[in-house]
Amino acid sequence: MTTIRRQLTSPLQLMTLITAAIILLPLGYVMSQALSADPAVWSRLWNTRIPELLTNTIRLAASVACLTLVLGVSTAWLVTRVEFPARRLWEGALVLPLAMPTYVLAYIYSYLLGFGGPIEQLWQTVAGPQARIFSPQSFLGATLVMTLDTFPFVYLLSRSALLNMNVSFEEVSRASGISRMKTLWRVTLPLMRPSIAAGLALVILYVVSDFGAVSLLRYQTLTYAVFQQMTGRSDTTAASILSLLLVGMALLFLVTERWFRHRSRFYQTTGRYRTPERHRYGWMGTSLIMMYLVLVVAASFGVPAYLLIAWSLSPEALATIDTRFYGFFGNTVFLSACAATGGVAIGLPLAYMASRRPNWLNLGCLQAAYAGYVLPGPVAALAVLVLCLNLVPFVYGSVIVLIVAYIIHFLPAALQSLEPALQQITPNLEEVARTLGLGIRQTWQRVTLPLIRSGFVVAWVLMFLQTMKELPATLLLRPVGLDTLAIRVWMEASEEYYQLAAPSALLIVLLGLPTLLLLLSKDWRAA
Amino acid sequence: MLQADLYQPVSPVLELRGICCDYGAGRPAVENIAFAAKEGEILCLLGPSGCGKTTILRAIAGFEPVRSGQIFLSGHVVSSPDLMIPTEDRRVGMVFQEYALFPHLRVQDNIAFGLRHLSRRERKVRVHDMLRLVGLEGFERRYPHELSGGQQQRVALARALVQHPVVLLLDEPFSNLDPDMASRMRQELHDLLRRTKTTTILVTHDHEEAFAMADRIAVLNQGKLEQFDTPEIIYHTPKTPFVADFVGQADFIPGTVTNGMVQTEVGEFPNALGCEEGTAVVVMIRPDDVHVVSDRNSNVRVMNRQFRGSENLYTVALPSGQVVHASESSTVVYPLGTPVRLSVVATHTVIFPPLGVRDA
Repeated sequence: MTTIRRQLTSPLQLMTLITAAIILLPLGYVMSQALSADPAVWSRLWNTRIPELLTNTIRLAASVACLTLVLGVSTAWLVTRVEFPARRLWEGALVLPLAMPTYVLAYIYSYLLGFGGPIEQLWQTVAGPQARIFSPQSFLGATLVMTLDTFPFVYLLSRSALLNMNVSFEEVSRASGISRMKTLWRVTLPLMRPSIAAGLALVILYVVSDFGAVSLLRYQTLTYAVFQQMTGRSDTTAASILSLLLVGMALLFLVTERWFRHRSRFYQTTGRYRTPERHRYGWMGTSLIMMYLVLVVAASFGVPAYLLIAWSLSPEALATIDTRFYGFFGNTVFLSACAATGGVAIGLPLAYMASRRPNWLNLGCLQAAYAGYVLPGPVAALAVLVLCLNLVPFVYGSVIVLIVAYIIHFLPAALQSLEPALQQITPNLEEVARTLGLGIRQTWQRVTLPLIRSGFVVAWVLMFLQTMKELPATLLLRPVGLDTLAIRVWMEASEEYYQLAAPSALLIVLLGLPTLLLLLSKDWRAA
Repeated sequence: MLQADLYQPVSPVLELRGICCDYGAGRPAVENIAFAAKEGEILCLLGPSGCGKTTILRAIAGFEPVRSGQIFLSGHVVSSPDLMIPTEDRRVGMVFQEYALFPHLRVQDNIAFGLRHLSRRERKVRVHDMLRLVGLEGFERRYPHELSGGQQQRVALARALVQHPVVLLLDEPFSNLDPDMASRMRQELHDLLRRTKTTTILVTHDHEEAFAMADRIAVLNQGKLEQFDTPEIIYHTPKTPFVADFVGQADFIPGTVTNGMVQTEVGEFPNALGCEEGTAVVVMIRPDDVHVVSDRNSNVRVMNRQFRGSENLYTVALPSGQVVHASESSTVVYPLGTPVRLSVVATHTVIFPPLGVRDA
């Protein structure tokens, strides 16, 4: 008989620790660089750029949060509590905007709202030939684009809150003589509060760390400034200081989101599930609802998608679909596949240890792996870059640096599907295999791995798709001459070659659509 | 003879010697647990949730380390503070509360899961024999989700028994079945374990289940062993008020030792504890020891009646306010408020010191 001694450090445990260290090291490096910077640099930044950047970032986040609150909650309430034609179709259509990367939506709106663009022309036929509308390259433009792109987060979380809510609460209220509208205000919305708050925190996190839209609309936020410091001035110290602020802000909203999400569990009562009663309005009401939904979906997905298709079919665009284009596509697939494979391989031991031996060490390692959440693309790039230059300068400019940055940035997406997959299989299944005479390794092979296969695949796909859309880290770290689809979109769009950017953008949107199915079924935060 | 031998002269199949387990991963701690199981015996760990009974089961299986004490299986140490034989080398069979059937495998592959070392033909024969034993012939190619709760349980049982385990561990095996099914499965399982002469440790919180299944019962409370005896002894002469209350309805009547007898409001009882004159004690009586007879002159009143099919359970209030329960056959019905006389005929008198008595 073989015996085991207790407290033996298993290889798996060691691997978990090393992974966590690798993930935290770049972040720590940037932080230390920021904190050890010359006070003169701090005060210069503090007196010149930081006030403006902070105000801009907060102003954008706040206005987008307000608008997404209205859009997200109202649409969620409509699809769960009201009956109207093709309701299930609308229910799905409202997540479609998530397939549009912000830079794609931003470039389409800079065309739509631009000088002499279709919306201005339309407005001029109404308000006279001298009438002007707001420029897309402004606070309003950025707000509009970010709102249309992120309201599905609030929509998804509110929708699942409304679906999981015990209908009895609303029925008790109605039975106590409270009208339908008042029940909404006094019962339904208060019960949804944690979910709505979690959705808003997610939106803010997204806005704060977005690079694509603000760079194309030339709206100065902290994330954009980090990028500019790195490219324009090659000033990594100033970039680190701005990153520190950014990470602090992101962390604040991440914690907020987690806290509210945790609270929302207590609000969703268990018990038998019943579908809520859906109210049917008269034809006037129904047509108003339909008009509202058509407007929202058209603005956020329908019109942009139509334009992308139309532009892609234009002769200029078709001419660009040649071997070079396939090369970009090949680069994208190669980088994304490497990042996804690496991420899943690294994420699995982390998630496994945290779910099977949930002590502070393993849970801490898992939380460390979620650091990618608070690292906006440019910051992740900066972190990896600074570390590489200082420790292993010879890998600078190679694909490895880029892939490491991707993995650190997008590991949360993989973990989010690996974690539930592991939690769903009860430890009893592994234990029973042990009572049947299997060792640890055999148990993994014959029980654990076959059972988590689907979670594994989902994690891979999610990471693949996220990497495919990635822009800022790719811009900063790619080897010379290596272009991806996202890079092409951004470059052509920056030069206002709308037609030329369309084929790549369309391909990204199409490849992103499968993720949405996952979102609708499981309400994952990723994508 | 009421006192059972805790330690058997012949070496037992399973023996726990003073084991302690710490709190860990949300499982309750246990302290100084010692008992032993003979070959073919069915032992039951009984207690409320959180008393540590599952912790003990998991320690036997080798999933929980012990802080002190030893666990012996077939005479070998398998767990001690500095030694832990891995589960796969212990030859224990286990049936989990949720059965833990592998969802990705068919019934036959679930049962044959641990038989990799055998030839394909041998495996097939063993699986077939097992399926016949548990009455599931023809279900070989089903998947677990295509089976009912009772069938799933039988597959889990077959999977554990096909290994010829030294000891079979059952964790609340009937809690996921509806009551009708549970009582039928209880009978079937009991017959099967007797036929296969399997030494079994069963964990439950249901005293009726323990009475129906077990040769001996270990009653646990807050991580400590309160009593280890046959079901009859546990029911009739519980050692502590907790055991008395946990294994069936019990009333605790205060009394005083006077003239060598315990005087109470419902009559005299022998001084079984041998207490000194004048000591205050409580007497435990069970509803089946109490009979009610209609009596106009009595100031004892029927407060409540609960119809239970074959019997009526009466709640009766004594003049002092003390409440006593009595079960009577349901052929006679006393309406509420009826003045009655109580006659208490207890075969065993159980007396406790008055302190520490919980509100019954």
